[in-house]
Amino acid sequence: MKPPVLRCRHIVKRYGKFTALEDLSLEVYEGEIFALLGPNGAGKSTLIHCITGLAKQSEGSIEVLGFDTVADFRTTRRLVGLVPQEINYDPFFTPVESLMIQMGLMGVEPNRERAEALLKTFALDEKRDAYTRTLSGGMKRRLLVAKSLVHEPRLLFLDEPTAGVDVELRRELWQEVQDLRTAGTTIVLTTHYIEEAEKLADRIGILHKGELLLVESRESLLERHGGRSLEDIYLELIRKADGRHAA
Amino acid sequence: MSSIALKTLFVKEVRRFSKVWLQTVLSPLVTTSLYFLVFGVALGSRLREISGVPYIQFVVPGLVMMTMVRDAFLNTSSSLFQSKINGTITDILVAPIGAFEMLVAYVGAAMLRAFIVGALVYVVALTFTFFPLYHLGWTLFFAVFVTATLALLGMIAALWAQKFDHLAIFPNFVLLPLAFLGGVFYSIDLLPEPWFTVSLFNPLLYMVNGLRYGFLGVADVSPEASAAVVLASFAVLLGVASALLRSGYNLRS
Ligand SMILES: Nc1ncnc2c1ncn2[C@@H]1O[C@H](COP(=O)(O)OP(=O)(O)OP(=O)(O)O)[C@@H](O)[C@H]1O
Ligand SMILES: [Mg+2]
Repeated sequence: MKPPVLRCRHIVKRYGKFTALEDLSLEVYEGEIFALLGPNGAGKSTLIHCITGLAKQSEGSIEVLGFDTVADFRTTRRLVGLVPQEINYDPFFTPVESLMIQMGLMGVEPNRERAEALLKTFALDEKRDAYTRTLSGGMKRRLLVAKSLVHEPRLLFLDEPTAGVDVELRRELWQEVQDLRTAGTTIVLTTHYIEEAEKLADRIGILHKGELLLVESRESLLERHGGRSLEDIYLELIRKADGRHAA
Repeated sequence: MSSIALKTLFVKEVRRFSKVWLQTVLSPLVTTSLYFLVFGVALGSRLREISGVPYIQFVVPGLVMMTMVRDAFLNTSSSLFQSKINGTITDILVAPIGAFEMLVAYVGAAMLRAFIVGALVYVVALTFTFFPLYHLGWTLFFAVFVTATLALLGMIAALWAQKFDHLAIFPNFVLLPLAFLGGVFYSIDLLPEPWFTVSLFNPLLYMVNGLRYGFLGVADVSPEASAAVVLASFAVLLGVASALLRSGYNLRS
């Protein structure tokens, strides 16, 4: 059997005395769309940060296609792409420059044609030479998505990519995500629009206070709960877990 | 190691300061030239020789060093700190870039900026008082290692700082006073005790006097002593900066 694209083993992440992730193990497989759901502060971004290099886990190990994210960080970072939750942009550079710089940083020879093609895909070609700060919020977020793809990652993390993006472009973005998956990219996404996850995801993980409550394929999850929406199932699980924590 | 990434990061840093060259190149050039006009040209016409050279020439290496120290520090510190604050450091943290490449790119770009400003100040001074360079080797040695040392200090400061005020401490309350007291405008031979001895504990004294030896062949301390202090500072800061970057101090939460 092929190794999973992502394998997290017994991840613990502490910030001082606070434990953000508690003994978390998870595998994600090639070509799937995995939705990581959970309330604010559950630890979704923390987990993504440990995998992508923005944070370091306190305990446990993470492998991407069999490579350790600490020992073989140069390999794993070439394989992984990230759209961070927080919008960031460099006021010094235009969208097309930002993309070309990101190619170089990722170790790929900068290529203007490819940068322009990516901007086109994300409906940013009109803004390619504008000051990035003059882009609207949704445009900046689309630029982040384009930036995460410059090195053609095998495993892509989308941390709330649709927050602040209008309905039409949200649909287009999800279409793009499905196209990426068809082209072989494995995708892990977080969103607070549960119905988006219900439409898109092959498997779903629900994180609550640093613990995975459930990891299951969408089909079997929905089947088990006979016709109820994912949002209802999600809320019930979270409420139950909250009750357990309160008790 | 990725040479494409290293090159990209270096070029990005150079483009960053070139895009705002009014602030990063012209402004220090004007400020330092004003110092030169006031102290060197105006006062210098009244002052006698100092250490056997005309005063107007005596201040040139000190002023060049003062601006190089400041610009090397400011380039790394403001660039790295800004990307920490506006979140663009993420682009580097997710990339297959190691501590070494980050260090070389940031320090290299800061050195380039300091060299450009330093050379321009030197050219301005030469139009007022032409003198041949005494020793090219020592001049380059001090220019290279001092700017590298200050660029490293700038990186360390940016990693440590949590707000802009923290960063502003260095150029205004540390580097400028130490440069002034390090003999930019005078020879410490003129100082009474205990100030003469106190001055010997100021690392900027060795940087200023090292370059002065390279430019003019005169200095309060021997070029070997200056070189030893500069190299030791460089080695210590290189060690600290590499260790901080490798551990992800205040970068990777
Ligand atoms: N750098 C940090 N220092 C201290 N605590 C942190 C840090 N980053 C995150 N935390 C804490 O860890 C917990 C998990 O945060 P995280 O950002 O992973 O949540 P999330 O699931 O992504 O939430 P959201 O849906 O709001 O994005 C929170 O309690 C948060 O306050
Ligand atoms: Mg989050």
